[in-house]
Amino acid sequence: MKIQHTIKYIALGVALGFGTAQADDKPVVGLIMKSLANEFFQNMLEGAEAHAEERGDYELKAVGMQNETDFESQINAVENFITQGVDAIVVAPADSRAMVRPLKKAAAAGITVINFDVALDADAKKQQDFELAFVGPDNRGGAKMAGDALAKALGEGGKVVIVEGNPGADNATERRLGFEDSIAEYKLELLDSRTAHWETEEANSVFSTMLTAHPEIQGVMAANDSMAVGVVKALEAAGRDDILVVGFDNINAVGPMIADGRMLATVDQFGTAMAANAIDQALEVVAGGAPLEGWVKTPIELVTQ
Amino acid sequence: MTATTKTSHKYSAKSILESFGIGIALLLLIVFFSVTTEHFLSSNNITNILSQVTINLILAIGMTFVILIGGIDLSVGSVMAFAAVVAGKAISMEGFGPAELITVAIIAGLAAGFVCGLLNGVISAYWALPSFIVTLGMLNIARGAALHITDARTIYSFPYAFEEFGSLLFYGIPVVFLVALALVFIAWVVLTRTVFGRILYAIGNNEEAVRLAGHRVFRYKVAAYTICGLTAGIAAIVYMARLNISSPIAGIGFELNAIAGVIIGGTSLSGGRGSIIGTLLGVFIIGVLANGLILLGLSDFMRQMITGVVIIVAVILDHYRAKYAS
Repeated sequence: MKIQHTIKYIALGVALGFGTAQADDKPVVGLIMKSLANEFFQNMLEGAEAHAEERGDYELKAVGMQNETDFESQINAVENFITQGVDAIVVAPADSRAMVRPLKKAAAAGITVINFDVALDADAKKQQDFELAFVGPDNRGGAKMAGDALAKALGEGGKVVIVEGNPGADNATERRLGFEDSIAEYKLELLDSRTAHWETEEANSVFSTMLTAHPEIQGVMAANDSMAVGVVKALEAAGRDDILVVGFDNINAVGPMIADGRMLATVDQFGTAMAANAIDQALEVVAGGAPLEGWVKTPIELVTQ
Repeated sequence: MTATTKTSHKYSAKSILESFGIGIALLLLIVFFSVTTEHFLSSNNITNILSQVTINLILAIGMTFVILIGGIDLSVGSVMAFAAVVAGKAISMEGFGPAELITVAIIAGLAAGFVCGLLNGVISAYWALPSFIVTLGMLNIARGAALHITDARTIYSFPYAFEEFGSLLFYGIPVVFLVALALVFIAWVVLTRTVFGRILYAIGNNEEAVRLAGHRVFRYKVAAYTICGLTAGIAAIVYMARLNISSPIAGIGFELNAIAGVIIGGTSLSGGRGSIIGTLLGVFIIGVLANGLILLGLSDFMRQMITGVVIIVAVILDHYRAKYAS
């Protein structure tokens, strides 16, 4: 992993050095994302790049991480941006606690900081005496939309299982809570709830086993679409077409599954536009607008047949 | 030469006895879960377990070859993802019939795995580098290449016949598992019935002696890594057929499961001792544990802890085996 880090820092250093040499009086926005190995963030990056080109009145410097939990290099990226004196930092934190201190430092250096995608931890912010608004989707609300769609199709007493994301990840927790909200509201029966670490193959294995243990399952709530794909394959292998599946993210691969009814619904949180929106908000503040407060919710939408 | 052959014969007989112990452990696990859970022995669940262990089994077969010569291959999970996206790109080309596409995709996937394995072997054997580092490099190269080729996007929508193959059952047994079992048989023949196999064991025991006996150690080592890469390619095809997607982030951490299967199966990490039958049983122990503990309703965290304990117990047992062997 050390080699990986070294290469990354060199690349980052070169990128930042190059950027400074080019800078003119346009405001500079530093965009810090999570894993570019994730289709979701890859789309987001493309959306931001297209946005920068379209607006043309700011300079974008984007940095991505190697994996979802690589907060160490996110901290370094923030420090590099501070040194460079960018006008705004727009960040999707890899860890909602670890990122509080470096971002506070950035804000103290007079940089406009916008937190999007995943909210910083409220307690950690309070502890460090740092106020920062959050621009992002309501993962819990989104999961509840998917859960409600499933609950309405099944009716009261429907027997469901949850396939969770990475234990401890903020969006995984929020989505599970959203599913549980639907379960409570529509009086569904939760038979089992397990993690498959966001992964298709693991979801396939874990869910087949859950189905063996509970053949009476009627509905499945998967915390992302990659896992929903694994669940759908498991259902096909078991020859069960009576079980409804909902997911989250609206990745390309689930399009055909929703169209032919193998999946009931998913949730789109418009990842492509998310970074671009956050950048818009940042530029408004840089141009002298009022600072953001509280939670600026970004749109989410239920996708069905 | 005669000396090496004799030694490996002895070890081969010994390893059958060793596998016997692992077999008993597996049997005890099966009995335990049959008694404590309602569905464990149901035909559906057996089908599930067989398809759940298939990919790990295929990877572990190749891993056994590498570990037997005293090496390790950390790249198999990434190589599997790389091979899967190469095959995925091939299978989604336009203007060809399904049969041609499937053939081309399988060849492309296997070739991708083969090349990665070959590179691992040539680089670590030629410069006598620790395979740990070389394959760690390959882990990054293959993963990066998989992400680069696909722009981090999952490839989906394959020809129908190919998608069918992944969930095909033969009297309740997944056909992909039968493929894995055929590979186990081939590996067993190669390791126990050929000079090539015996020399691999001998390299794990005493590389210098094999070299002095006049064998081209370099070639045998390269072959072991290439076989491991090739099995990662086969695992990639099975992954695609089973899940009907090619994901560039597939297989993260699979190398560790494969290594765990081989080690639990009684193959020594320092090489020269172990068997493919042990690997088969070791992989089943992991698979049965994962399945049975879910059926028992145990939490994921407990499941992970128990798997960890099993790995450590296996290594402790290996320590005593090595002591009695000498």
